Amino acid sequence: MSVQIVLEKFRAMAANPKGQLDTYFANGEKVVLVAPVYTPEEIIHSMGLVPMGAWGADMALNRAKEYFPAFICSIMQSVLELGMKGAYDGASAIVIPSLCDSLKCLGQNWKYAVPSIPFIPMTYPQNRRGDVGKAFTKAGYERVIADLEQATGTKFSEEKLAASIAVYNEHNAVMRQLDEALATHPEITAAQRCDIYKSAWFMRKEEHTALVRALLAELDAAGGGPEKIKVLVSGVLFDSPALLAILDELGFQVAADDVAAESRQYRTDTDPNLPPLEGLSEKFSRMDHCSVLYDVDKKRVDLIVETARSRDAKGVVVALAKFCDPEEFDYPLIRKACEQAGLPVVLIETDRQTVNYEQAKTQLEAFRDILA
Amino acid sequence: MITLGMDIGSTTSKCVLLKDGVEIVACALAPAGIGTDGPVQAYREVLLRGGVPEREIRRKMATGYGRKCWPPADGELSELTAHALGCHFLLRSARTVIDIGGQDAKVVSLDAQGRMASFVMNDKCAAGTGRFLDVMAGILKRDVDELGGLAAQAAAPAAISSTCTVFAESEVISQLANGVPVPDVVAGICKSVAVRVAALARRAGVKEAVFMSGGVAQNAGVRKALEDDLGVTLHTSELSQLAGALGAAVYGFQKMSK
Repeated sequence: MSVQIVLEKFRAMAANPKGQLDTYFANGEKVVLVAPVYTPEEIIHSMGLVPMGAWGADMALNRAKEYFPAFICSIMQSVLELGMKGAYDGASAIVIPSLCDSLKCLGQNWKYAVPSIPFIPMTYPQNRRGDVGKAFTKAGYERVIADLEQATGTKFSEEKLAASIAVYNEHNAVMRQLDEALATHPEITAAQRCDIYKSAWFMRKEEHTALVRALLAELDAAGGGPEKIKVLVSGVLFDSPALLAILDELGFQVAADDVAAESRQYRTDTDPNLPPLEGLSEKFSRMDHCSVLYDVDKKRVDLIVETARSRDAKGVVVALAKFCDPEEFDYPLIRKACEQAGLPVVLIETDRQTVNYEQAKTQLEAFRDILA
Repeated sequence: MITLGMDIGSTTSKCVLLKDGVEIVACALAPAGIGTDGPVQAYREVLLRGGVPEREIRRKMATGYGRKCWPPADGELSELTAHALGCHFLLRSARTVIDIGGQDAKVVSLDAQGRMASFVMNDKCAAGTGRFLDVMAGILKRDVDELGGLAAQAAAPAAISSTCTVFAESEVISQLANGVPVPDVVAGICKSVAVRVAALARRAGVKEAVFMSGGVAQNAGVRKALEDDLGVTLHTSELSQLAGALGAAVYGFQKMSK
């Protein structure tokens, strides 16, 4: 397979989650939706179910407004909109974590707005470290397991969880490898890079791992491309085709990301030496560097600066999803730290309903002028 | 060497002819922007005023939201870069540029060499832009150019929301219904724009000298309210509204000189 053939496979998967969902149903699979930002996918996978990302879509929001006010995260609104319009019909359940206020509202509204798909809450502790935090997380996972058993009729076993944890750890490792490799391949466009990450939400992880490995092998053989302006992108999501097209048109290369739907997912592995469910809880206790993971030291900010420097990024593009308050709280700190490090920052406001990114294009053009 | 800058905004089209990157040969402004014949008018006018044959123009640069819609352009640049260059041309000591245009507001920080160091833009909202003033002038049945003079007559500016144009519209109507004098309402409207833009400027960091460009720079009411809010002197020029086009012409000269 050539690089372009593999990339086309990722694109086809990323562009058509509905098609993938229908394929799972046609094969008699049971699908469980996983909402942003972190859900125990390993548990779902271990029970023979297909975890499928539900991060919404770029679309007009109409029905969701029956439940949500205008000034709330459009990602959450679009998840509910898709649910209400039947896009997820046939799914066995949806797991929605409690990691921000908007997500809590999504879970509560889902129960009434989409009663055909059972809502399973995953309540995470704010203080996730220490024995009490880990025990709280484990209790949350046990609730998810019980609800999944009830909703799908499948049974949980620790042995199968151990096997799924190995699959997910392997996928994490290959995604980290991919992230490093793409930094040296400017010929891979921002849109293509996004396709690779986005497709991971719709594919079984073992299948995605195999496809990423195939890409890495092809990239090794292919060499590099002409240099572009390297940037680090940050935000909850960075998957708008219009915005990615602008990055590509203006000659930017995404040399690294701090995107919740992308690299943040793959930073932490589960310790395979611990009992599986405890290992999963312990993993959550070690997860960090994310706006929805409570951290008084805000180490995420330093990680952004360090990563940008290590990848030779000339600047940082922050995509702030309206109205994501956890990301909004972090932005002033990110900007301050980057400026102190001599890294220019540009803030682009994104919204699932935006159809025209002309203002963002103006900003990114000016940003390119600054970096050049 | 003659270069030309064309700034096509949401409500106006501006054009500047520049000689050797230092001498303004002619300027023109047409009161019509994107999607109209404004750029054609401005182009025709500037050629007429400058007495320069079209073939002598070495480079034509377009900027503004309509920069892609002007076929004669040899190239384009963002209005942020254009305003930075234009304002540096008009005031060498400028370190902060506040540009309030028809549909957005921008604050640009310049370094000592006049290069753009950073910038911030308003979010997708008409509050704090020229459009806000247009809407308010419409409610008051006044021309937008009259607002500055009316604000100067105010005894006590009325409280008008800076959050939202639609909310502010109903507030203006309520203030008028309560018998608040028109000059006080207008001063409140100017203050509302200034509060919004001042917050944007503080996000960028305000360093003197502060230069104001864009069409709203002509509005004395907004200028005064901004000066009061920021506690700095705002520098303007009779060419403030043409700063983007001027910057585009400067950029064209720099490109040709390399």
